[in-house]
Amino acid sequence: MRILRRNLTAYGFLCVALFCFTVFAWYPMVREFVLSFQRTDLINPPEWVGLDNFKAAVADPAFGEAWLNTLEFTALALLCGYAVPFVVALVLNELRHARAYLRFVVYLPVMLPPIVAVLLFRWFYDPGPGLFNQILDFLHLPPLAWLDSSSTALISLVIVSTWMNMGSATLIYLAALQNIPPELYEAAELDGAGIFKRIRHVTIPQTRLILLLMLMLQIVATMQVFIEPYMLTGGGPENATVSVVYLMYQFAFSQMNYGQAGALGMMLMLALLVFAAFQLRTTREDQA
Amino acid sequence: MIAVGAGTAGRKSRRAAGRRPKPMQVQFRTIVSPHQLNSRWGRRIYWLVLVSVVLLFTLAFVFPLYWMVTGAMKTPDEIAEMPPTPVPQDPTLDNFAEAWDLFDLGTLLVNTAYYAFGAWLFSMVVDVSAAYALSKLRPMFGNVILGAMLATLMIPPMVILIPLYVTIVDLGLLNNPWGLWFPAAANGFNIFLLKRFFDSIPRELIEAAQIDGAGPVRTLWSVVLPVSRPILGVVSIFTIVTAFKDFVLPLLVMTDSEKMPISVGLSQTAGAVTQNQVMGGLVIAGIPMIIVFFVFQRHIMAGLTAGSIKG
Amino acid sequence: MRRSTGLLLVTALGLSATACGSGESPQPAASGGAANVSITVACQPAKTAPNDRKAWDEDVAAFMKAHPGVTVKSTDQQPCFDPKTFGPKLAGGQMETVFVVPMTNYDDVIAQGQALDITQYTGSVKNWNDLRADHRELLTKDGKVYGVPNVHYSVGLVYNRALFTKAGLDPNTPPKTWAEVREAAKKIAGLGAGYVGYGEYSGGNTGGWHFTQALYGRGGSVLTDDGKKAAFNSPEGKAVLQTLHDMRWVDNSMGSKLLVGWESLMMAMGSGKVGMMLGAPDVVTDVVTKFKGNVDDYGITGFPEAKASLSGGEAYMINPKATPEQAKAGMEWIDFRFNTVGKGRFDFARGKAIGNPVGVPDNAVYGDSPTGKALQEERVKNASLPVENYQTYVDAAAIVPPKAEPPHAQELYAILDVPMSGVLSRKDASVDELLANAETKANAMLAAKG
Repeated sequence: MRILRRNLTAYGFLCVALFCFTVFAWYPMVREFVLSFQRTDLINPPEWVGLDNFKAAVADPAFGEAWLNTLEFTALALLCGYAVPFVVALVLNELRHARAYLRFVVYLPVMLPPIVAVLLFRWFYDPGPGLFNQILDFLHLPPLAWLDSSSTALISLVIVSTWMNMGSATLIYLAALQNIPPELYEAAELDGAGIFKRIRHVTIPQTRLILLLMLMLQIVATMQVFIEPYMLTGGGPENATVSVVYLMYQFAFSQMNYGQAGALGMMLMLALLVFAAFQLRTTREDQA
Repeated sequence: MIAVGAGTAGRKSRRAAGRRPKPMQVQFRTIVSPHQLNSRWGRRIYWLVLVSVVLLFTLAFVFPLYWMVTGAMKTPDEIAEMPPTPVPQDPTLDNFAEAWDLFDLGTLLVNTAYYAFGAWLFSMVVDVSAAYALSKLRPMFGNVILGAMLATLMIPPMVILIPLYVTIVDLGLLNNPWGLWFPAAANGFNIFLLKRFFDSIPRELIEAAQIDGAGPVRTLWSVVLPVSRPILGVVSIFTIVTAFKDFVLPLLVMTDSEKMPISVGLSQTAGAVTQNQVMGGLVIAGIPMIIVFFVFQRHIMAGLTAGSIKG
Repeated sequence: MRRSTGLLLVTALGLSATACGSGESPQPAASGGAANVSITVACQPAKTAPNDRKAWDEDVAAFMKAHPGVTVKSTDQQPCFDPKTFGPKLAGGQMETVFVVPMTNYDDVIAQGQALDITQYTGSVKNWNDLRADHRELLTKDGKVYGVPNVHYSVGLVYNRALFTKAGLDPNTPPKTWAEVREAAKKIAGLGAGYVGYGEYSGGNTGGWHFTQALYGRGGSVLTDDGKKAAFNSPEGKAVLQTLHDMRWVDNSMGSKLLVGWESLMMAMGSGKVGMMLGAPDVVTDVVTKFKGNVDDYGITGFPEAKASLSGGEAYMINPKATPEQAKAGMEWIDFRFNTVGKGRFDFARGKAIGNPVGVPDNAVYGDSPTGKALQEERVKNASLPVENYQTYVDAAAIVPPKAEPPHAQELYAILDVPMSGVLSRKDASVDELLANAETKANAMLAAKG
């Protein structure tokens, strides 16, 4: 009886959360699965169409480009958004002055709503009076087309994305670095290890877990890139910045084909799950 | 877990007096050894690196904001000038007023504040009670539920955006704040953080309250919550900041221009007004979160590392 | 024990589910007799266009006074037809009673059952029979009418007269051939940094749309006559892209910024630094009223070397979920605000007073019917501009045959954005290759759509 009462109270406390999770987190996953096999425009009753949505999604003119762009964006973002913050954190950790200021400013862009950062950079990228070309001009360098060329558009998006997101990664690394026991460095030094050897044999192994975790988070985050192409390029020029999520959005809200969008969403979910499983396995092997 | 007082390093070093170059204060050992750091070349390189990092950071993270604010103070002609003027020739605040009217920033800010506050209140009530139940009341299948909640963290929000949106449409929650508040409360990370903190509260404390005859609600309210202030602060700030910054879900859910939050409102109107007015709008939209950052800096930085695994 | 917990779980869920259910806002009941009916109408001018907004609000007040019991609520979403929110709004019960749809989307909207059959209400629009028959035809499927034509135009060349004068060109003899367009564009771009001779879109489906305009003008087609295959990989299609490529990279007269989305070029045109663009007369109206262009600066002429002209426009439709009372009130609103000579949008005297470019022949929805003639008379009488500025366009529009958009227009425009952005962003772009690729994609899309 007491157990029953305890459970009753507990579920009383849990019920609203369970409702929120059921309806707005768990059910949408199931719904995505169902949706991807239906044709629905939200107005007429949905009909079952088998694999048609998947076929249509794959047959879309931008499907291949969207995946390639997303992978390229992820790779570039790893370079900028993953490696750069770690190096920055390494340097910051060595500094004895202005630490509070540096930590403050690196995190400042993270606090801005993404839309503010994106619209700000839209102006910076303006090929005429935009800040970046004016700086290039000031340095007597030729101007770049930034968002307006298929060769530079994607990297331009990566720059915005890195600018507005790198603060949190940097601070997380910094905290991890400060947890490294100093004795390890002293021991390495006694063994005659130089600075780079110390980084390789002490810093990286000691922060390995957080590095792996951040790698996963970073990849999952960048695979979802949307707001940058949505606001800055509209997927152009020449489809160079169409991302998977952007294409999904187009399926749903430009072509009003929610089933096809669901099918693409399923594919993205599968891709991410496969990646996560792979990541988990390497982490496990690593610890074993 | 987080480095406390990192910023005090500089202050302490200043206290060291003497004519000799004062030795670099070393609060904790890092890659570069104190010995190397205090050598002749070590110092030179250190100062060089320090100055360049400070300059670089200022250029990379502060200058764009400076450009945004001054851009908002220029006239349409001046903002299109090539080469640009580093300082507005004739600074004007008119653009802020114009942006305020054109973007209808008053309405947008009120909406955003309302959504953020609602999301905070609702998430806190829901997530705290859920975490409390999972941590202290330990119901059957509690671990299964926690696991399922944490599993949602593995599924990125954009992936289920379409079905989530369809669900919101089905429930008739378009242009209804609950269409944002319900999904905001379904936050596995908040529950994880809260539960982990509640787990660390000593059993005796709870039992003492129970012996005094306190029910679970009283225990939560007068024993658990008071000792959990730090984590509540962290979770609160992050919930509010996230709600304020949110873009994609409100873009879909809040289609009525009277009900849009600021992110969506800016994105809808930015194409139809001049560049200096856009900048005015951006400055105003950026200010609230910058203020929050100034005030709650410590909490935010603490919260950032609260969930990470000890490295 | 286990079972009871499961049961509890279900009960708890059920409880919270009902709690939510009661939170749902009930659909506004259409009761209380025919006298009290409430409708929402789209397309109130944005706050960025205060004069127009005020005029609209006056009209709403006048309409409500003339129709006691009818409550009109306006929405000002911009643009007032947004494909992104159209379906969701309709499905979520948020759609206005009266909404606007561009010609491009007629087929989709009607086929998907997103508009009400208004055949029985057409009588509410007093000049119904004077509306262009060919436009009404586009809104009629299987003998049922789904919309009231609201705007009808064919494409011409919009140009900035002030810039023409400044560049030493005669604004009264605008270019008639593409060679002349190129020459004029060069001169205007030569005025200095920031000046653009000829503006063109390259993304957000507007690139493909303007490609189609230019292609039609040169006598080409997007699709074959049976609509099954792409036909734009043709000499005409190549000429369109080659001209743009040469203007951009040889003449340097198109600026260096890619323009994505409708507002981008309109904004540039309004700033007074763009010499010419393809567009209908409504571009002039929008540039002046929404993008702060100077009324006297803009002119429009016939499409250069025109063989055909893409016709465009929009229609008002009624929410399929509207009650008969709402539908009737909605139609009365459409009649009052949009189809009455001397009232609402055709109140040219007021238009002139608030600084609108009255005199621009921006709407041929009534053609040369009696209503159309009466409108033209009113327009000329209250013209705030020399109507001669637009005579070349009017003359051309009378001769050049109109040509409708291709089926699957949005999908095709998305595909055609790519070659447009290609020639405008890459100096080494190959016109042949771009068109061949687009053709392959378009054929695959058409095959998939059946």
